[in-house]
Amino acid sequence: MRTHRLALLAAGFLLAALPAKPQSGGELRFVLRSEPKTFDPMLVDEEASETIRYLTGGVLIRVNRKTQALEPELAVSWKVSEGGKKISFRAREGLLFSDGTPFTAEDVAFTMQKLMNPDLHSPTGDSFRSSQGPVRVTTANPRDVTIEFPAPVAGLERLFDQVAVVSSHSPKKEAAVLGPFVVAEYKSGSYVLLKRNPLYWKKDARGRRLPYLDSIRLDIQQNRDLELLRFKRNEIQLINSLDASYFENLAKEAPSAVRDIGPSLDSEQIWFNQVPSAPIPDYKKNWFRSTSFRLAISEAINRDDLCRVVFGSHARPAVGPVSPANLFWFDKSLQPHPYDPQAALRRLQQEGFRLDGHVLNDPGGHAVEFSVVTNAGNKYREQMAAMIQQDLEQIGIRLNIVTLDFPSLIERISRTFDYELCLLGLVNVDLDPSAQMSVWLSSSSNHQWNPEQKSPATSWEAEIDRLMQAQASTNDQNQRKRYFDQVQKIVWEQQPFIYLVNKNALVVISPALANTSPVVLRPQTFWNVETLYFSNQGRGASQ
Amino acid sequence: MWTRVLVRRICTLLLTALLGGILGATLVRFAPGFGVDERELDIRLREDSVQALRQSHSNERNLLKFYGAYLEGVLHGDLGVSHSFARPVAGLFAERLPMTLRTVALGLVGGWLLALVLALPVATLRGWSFDFLASSASGAFLCLPSAVVAILFLYFGGPAALAICAVVFPRVFRYARNLLVQTYALPHVLTARARGLSAIRILLWHIFPVAAPQLLALAGVSVSIALGAAIPIEVICDSPGIGQLAWQAALSRDLPLLVNMTLFVTLVTLAANAAADLTTKAFLRHTA
Repeated sequence: MRTHRLALLAAGFLLAALPAKPQSGGELRFVLRSEPKTFDPMLVDEEASETIRYLTGGVLIRVNRKTQALEPELAVSWKVSEGGKKISFRAREGLLFSDGTPFTAEDVAFTMQKLMNPDLHSPTGDSFRSSQGPVRVTTANPRDVTIEFPAPVAGLERLFDQVAVVSSHSPKKEAAVLGPFVVAEYKSGSYVLLKRNPLYWKKDARGRRLPYLDSIRLDIQQNRDLELLRFKRNEIQLINSLDASYFENLAKEAPSAVRDIGPSLDSEQIWFNQVPSAPIPDYKKNWFRSTSFRLAISEAINRDDLCRVVFGSHARPAVGPVSPANLFWFDKSLQPHPYDPQAALRRLQQEGFRLDGHVLNDPGGHAVEFSVVTNAGNKYREQMAAMIQQDLEQIGIRLNIVTLDFPSLIERISRTFDYELCLLGLVNVDLDPSAQMSVWLSSSSNHQWNPEQKSPATSWEAEIDRLMQAQASTNDQNQRKRYFDQVQKIVWEQQPFIYLVNKNALVVISPALANTSPVVLRPQTFWNVETLYFSNQGRGASQ
Repeated sequence: MWTRVLVRRICTLLLTALLGGILGATLVRFAPGFGVDERELDIRLREDSVQALRQSHSNERNLLKFYGAYLEGVLHGDLGVSHSFARPVAGLFAERLPMTLRTVALGLVGGWLLALVLALPVATLRGWSFDFLASSASGAFLCLPSAVVAILFLYFGGPAALAICAVVFPRVFRYARNLLVQTYALPHVLTARARGLSAIRILLWHIFPVAAPQLLALAGVSVSIALGAAIPIEVICDSPGIGQLAWQAALSRDLPLLVNMTLFVTLVTLAANAAADLTTKAFLRHTA
């Protein structure tokens, strides 16, 4: 009798220790800030389509957004060989696409062959193309597939997080998916409705098929004010990448809904135009090519003030191309350049610049004055430019602010090179530095300060080229990290990009939604969408 | 006679629309930022993909060639493909036009009704207080740019059609009020009133026949006012119509979409004005 009681007591404790039973059903709503251009996972090149791909696509390997580690999904195992040139997958057995078509290694082969077609010009496919040449895909049996690239691909397995497998046999083509949701309805300019994939393979600890939610409605809405208003009206339950001012506004009304997750991967930076053929005076080109000049500008900018005033302390002074949110690749030995206008002035005086009254003159007697271009309508960049203007005024430099619409800005920085200083941000979607290859290689069109160089213009750019190539040609992560740390150090010393801030990842989550765990990596709030559910109190409000 | 007038009108309309299209295309072609694509800054893209993106606009650099090819396509029912939406323009129009037409039509009807309902008592009652109130209300709305009206309606949860109504109403009211006050002051109307004719009879037989030609002309103009207002209102209220489409096309220098948009707006404006003109002529012929 006593034994029975003890057993019952133990069972009671065990049940109490189990997490609350998740509720199935309900419709999650949030906003897409632009119209998705495509539902074809191969052609995805903007955020809205990426969101749909994440929610509907099944991938072989998934980057766990919380731990930043790789986890098996459609592949039960994988092996990278030949220094990152070859990868073999063993596919999970018995899985079905949303239309009932069986999933086999042939589908993986079909997906990769289609994705690696150079004429597709897909950003996802381009990430794999480390050199010219055909990609060989072989399937030994319905479960095993091997993909061989013409040259080693750095961080190869991580790239498969972006590859949604499509069916080679389904008549529904890319509409047949392996992810937790399927596209059920789409009204241009209005919404995309996703319904639960009844054939999704994952189950929870209790053996219940995931996802818990019945559907997700993605309203297409560009107006951020309206997005906030709709959250307050309980019409949507999530907001990703919230602006700091909206965050503060909402924090007063619903403090339990807002979350500051810390520095994101994105950075804001300025760079001087160093293009030799740029239509700007030669004496200005000499300033911009001078490392001391760039370092002095970096030292004259008060990054702490930018974070405090512009972002309401929801940002952190940036050090370099990698944010501290990138746990593995961030070089912890580097610190942001300290704010020290006197040191900046001394550095400039050593280069022959002279402060006459309130005006800084160069050795040739030209007053130091230049313009910063940034995109119109981005109030944070406009405010940052205004604050930098005040900072530089303290060392006698006059900065003019020019705001342009985005196409005009791109034309200036990539075609006509008719600009002096540019303030823009870099959105990082990938943790691996190989994703930034086109930024650092001097021959690339995205090497913003001096693109498409036939041979590196400076010795330090040649060194960056070498280090980037070296880190891409080995699969030893620690060796790669050492190479990329050197790149970060050169960038810190030379300041081709003067990094300003890393904005914090700010999100809003309705208290009605349970099992949420927001992270800095995109998609910040719904990365674990299959296990999200509405709590009992929230259910009424959500429907 | 009527057929000849109609054919002449249609030909003028088409010619003007085509010229409008060319002019629109020229403005876009020579606008800063034409032919650049935001995706060029995507750091994941390889060099050949960036070059392919740059080349994708090359067929639009020669305007005459582009416009010739575009017109040839139009004759075959093909309005081209939008760069920014990566979809056929015809499909985008088919999806979004009903929304705008409904919003604009409701806004126009509402604006006109409100304007006439307020203008008629002002003209007939001749009391300063009502006139002051109605004129102040219309003045206040007249001062507000369409975008501000849209923001107000957004915060108070009003539909986009009501915002268009608020833009159309003050413009129609001001003109209709002055016109009706003047018409009610005409000697034959005063005589009719002195003879004790009913207000309805005076309105239908002595006021409308005189004011109709000008009101019809105003009706034509109000269509273009409403269409113009639809752009900021749809953008701010996130209403998925062609106003929102036009805004996005302009921001991304989407030439195929913008040319179609210019043609559409020109055609609607001209058609509305031509319809008003023809109705006025028919009305005058009938009353004569």
